[in-house]
Amino acid sequence: MKVIFGLGLVLSLLIILPSVQYVLAAGDEPAEYLDRRIEIWGLFYRLMIVAFTVGTVVSGMIVWLVLRFRESNPKAKPTEYEADGKW
Amino acid sequence: MVSGNMSGHSNWPEWVYVGVVIALLCYVGAEAWNIERIVEHVPADAEIIKVTGQQWLWTFEHEDGTKEIGELHLEKGKAYKFEVTSKDVIHSFNIHDYTVLMDAVPGRINVVWFSPTETGEFPIQCREYCGLIHYNMRGTLYVENGM
Repeated sequence: MKVIFGLGLVLSLLIILPSVQYVLAAGDEPAEYLDRRIEIWGLFYRLMIVAFTVGTVVSGMIVWLVLRFRESNPKAKPTEYEADGKW
Repeated sequence: MVSGNMSGHSNWPEWVYVGVVIALLCYVGAEAWNIERIVEHVPADAEIIKVTGQQWLWTFEHEDGTKEIGELHLEKGKAYKFEVTSKDVIHSFNIHDYTVLMDAVPGRINVVWFSPTETGEFPIQCREYCGLIHYNMRGTLYVENGM
């Protein structure tokens, strides 16, 4: 499973994505006049949304982990190792 | 040996997490690639302007041979393809208001294009530290209505 997953990742990075880029960049469409300010700043804002979403999820996860698994949480119960010394 | 099957333990959130991260990275890469492709696609009818940087001024040469130093006159609505190079050290050609930015490297011609959408005066500046008077390596872009 992990081998297939890793292979897929390597293949996609080395072969599939560059191929897609090559095909897309073939220039078979007429170049349009565009306002690069709109394209570039639009890209920036979309990627900022991704960045802040990831930041929120990661920091939220850390806060939840710290609160949920603190020793003083009423829901906390010892692991088998902590309770019985089972490894 | 640590048991992989501890009671109440599950791996699926981690796999979901890994999948989400990979999906986001793919999205970021594809989106950036696509925008770069769109932005770099120069229209066939773009007028070529040779831009040369040197300590510490910008020179512009139009297709008809007209040269300008420190200022550049363009027409609104037309596409312009800048061929950017340098005579001495590395500079960077920047029209901030139109998000035009391209390194000027000696012995190399870099290409960037844009089409002005508004008339007016816009600052041109060097964006790569190039020596003592880098701060004053400026010019002005004048965008005028077409004939």
